[in-house]
Amino acid sequence: MKRLLPLLLVLITFSAIAQNDLPKVDMTTLDGQPINSSELSTDDNVVVISLWATWCVPCIKELDAISEIYPDWQAETNVKLYAISIDDSRGVKRVKPMVNGKGWDYTILLDTNNDFKRAVGAATVPLTLLVKNNQIVYRHSGYSPGAEMELYEKIKEFSAVN
Amino acid sequence: MKKLILGAFMLMGVASFSQDNGYFFGGLESNSQWLVPDEKIGFDAPEDRFRANNYLQLNYNLGKFTAGIQYESYLPSALLGYSPTWDGQNGIGTYYLNFKNETLDVTGGYFYEQFGSGLILRTWEDRQLGINNAMKGLRVKFTPTENLDLTGVYGQIRNGFDVSEGVMQGLDANADLSGLLNIDAVDLKLGGSYVGRYQSNGANDSIPANINAYGGRLDFVANNFYGGVEAITKDPDVIINEGEVESPQLFDGTALQVNLGYAQKGLGISSTFRRLENFSFYADRYAEGNLYNEQIVNYVPALTKQHDYLLSNIYVYNAQPRLLFSDTEERAGEVGGQVDVYFSFDKESFLGKYGTKLAGNFSYWAGLEATFNFADQTYDPKFIGDGPRYFRDLNIEVKNRWSSKWSSIATFQDVIIDKGVTEGGPLGTQGDIRAQIAVIEGTRKFEGGKALRMELQHLWIDKSRKNVDRKNWVAGVLEYNFSPAFTLYAADAWNYEGEGEIHYYSFGGSYTKGPARFALNYGRQRGGLICVGGVCRFVPENTGLTANLVVTF
Repeated sequence: MKRLLPLLLVLITFSAIAQNDLPKVDMTTLDGQPINSSELSTDDNVVVISLWATWCVPCIKELDAISEIYPDWQAETNVKLYAISIDDSRGVKRVKPMVNGKGWDYTILLDTNNDFKRAVGAATVPLTLLVKNNQIVYRHSGYSPGAEMELYEKIKEFSAVN
Repeated sequence: MKKLILGAFMLMGVASFSQDNGYFFGGLESNSQWLVPDEKIGFDAPEDRFRANNYLQLNYNLGKFTAGIQYESYLPSALLGYSPTWDGQNGIGTYYLNFKNETLDVTGGYFYEQFGSGLILRTWEDRQLGINNAMKGLRVKFTPTENLDLTGVYGQIRNGFDVSEGVMQGLDANADLSGLLNIDAVDLKLGGSYVGRYQSNGANDSIPANINAYGGRLDFVANNFYGGVEAITKDPDVIINEGEVESPQLFDGTALQVNLGYAQKGLGISSTFRRLENFSFYADRYAEGNLYNEQIVNYVPALTKQHDYLLSNIYVYNAQPRLLFSDTEERAGEVGGQVDVYFSFDKESFLGKYGTKLAGNFSYWAGLEATFNFADQTYDPKFIGDGPRYFRDLNIEVKNRWSSKWSSIATFQDVIIDKGVTEGGPLGTQGDIRAQIAVIEGTRKFEGGKALRMELQHLWIDKSRKNVDRKNWVAGVLEYNFSPAFTLYAADAWNYEGEGEIHYYSFGGSYTKGPARFALNYGRQRGGLICVGGVCRFVPENTGLTANLVVTF
């Protein structure tokens, strides 16, 4: 424990001075086109970035739950959701059929080498980020049924602030 | 430790110079356990009752430059079931400096890279499995145009806090043919890879010092159809088992993977075929087939569905790419495939009112059929043939929402697994085990982010077979979410027909606040394979308290 203490101190210092820029990382779209994470949020609109994987049951529950109310969210707040799959080559071939089979209307990005996952320090998925003007304004890891409602409250909250 | 703090403060010094455009990012992950003796399962807690794996990752970006370090500690010992390489160790595990502009991306230090699907080269980190085979050296990525990219790597593979004896080098090129040739009807991508390993053979000329592998791939998307082919060949090398050369002969290796899929709104189908013959690749020839996947340089996952329920995780497949030539076992690799289907009903159907969702998966894997000539030390494999079945899984999942409050998932699985795959020992000769597993999961949502989730599971063993393993199981999970941030659960998997009628109980909870998540669990862990992404590690049965803390910033 003694060894951990200075570690925690350093950590606290870092969190205090850490800025919340969204790290710049190259990914690909479902069609294999390159896209950089800095292109995702360039204006005042709130963007949801959800890290998920085809083998992650809570991730799929979260995206299924949001999918049902996504049209309402978009109509009311102009929010856009990017679902970033961290599947490696074992699961990445399942992403496209799964997204289609489930009828999700999200923009799907692939982070096959997990560069984005590492850059945002996601030890586990799901990890949900709200991003505005390329700044991470809110983070939530894990999913429990109904958590999408709290997420929507946050989206409305940050959409209102200018 | 001192070095770390010093390094960190130096980094912060740099930061204060450049607060306008530089930023930090990173995270902390801490996993610890307190083991307790448990007579019922015959677990004699080791002397090191307290064990912890900690990871602190810090990165700093300034314009086109990014630098990072990862401090790791496995003190006083690594978590149970991890490679002894980690025990009692701590220090800077990885570090890197990266420069990136529009066309050039250069990394010095440790990096994670993947060529194609990773079958020829992949360096990655998986903390749950205790794998970190980052390459230490230099990587240059060059993207001269939108339709072309080239990657070159050179270095050694991380092994604990050291690096491999073998030195790796690799080249990867990708071309977007549709873009280059202005084809609109199909999207075509072509890729080629080379990976080589140099490792001194001492003065032993019968062992090659250089081993090269070459691979090519072609991927296409045409309307709703998509697919790809990847083929790899690897130079003849000695085969090694448990650190010993097995045969005076050299054997080459091959890998072939084909996938084909179809996707439209409401329907998705994906199918994969893969054949592996003597296809394992390590940064040290003597590391072949080691239990902890240390110094592995390619990624050979089991291509099956990754299950997530207590009882559907007992019989899991592990890819079998190796060639073995011994008195006790002769095998040359694996061949097989899988198909996934996803389907959503329009609003109302006979299965439910609100767009019932179906997912089905079938997979079949067998050993490569081959005739072995022990006298000449040669073998003659078939392309597919009719080798011994290692694994077969048929499963279906039905997901329903009944009202705004109630939803359910029902799954059924029928699995057959070779005894050698699940318990160890020679493959294809000890008979197999068949089990059927049913799971029903229900969720009730309440106001204010509260929710109750219940799971009921049963596993039936086919008792008409020779192997019945531990016979039938029943399991249940109860989870209550007090809010999206706070959850408590209790679970039990009861092996009611097995020896000792053991309950594998566990209970715990998790709390999330902003970027931090803390979880605490107490219970019995069933021994067996823990698999992440199709790569597995063996965990012995144990009982204890575990705590996990994750903070990202």
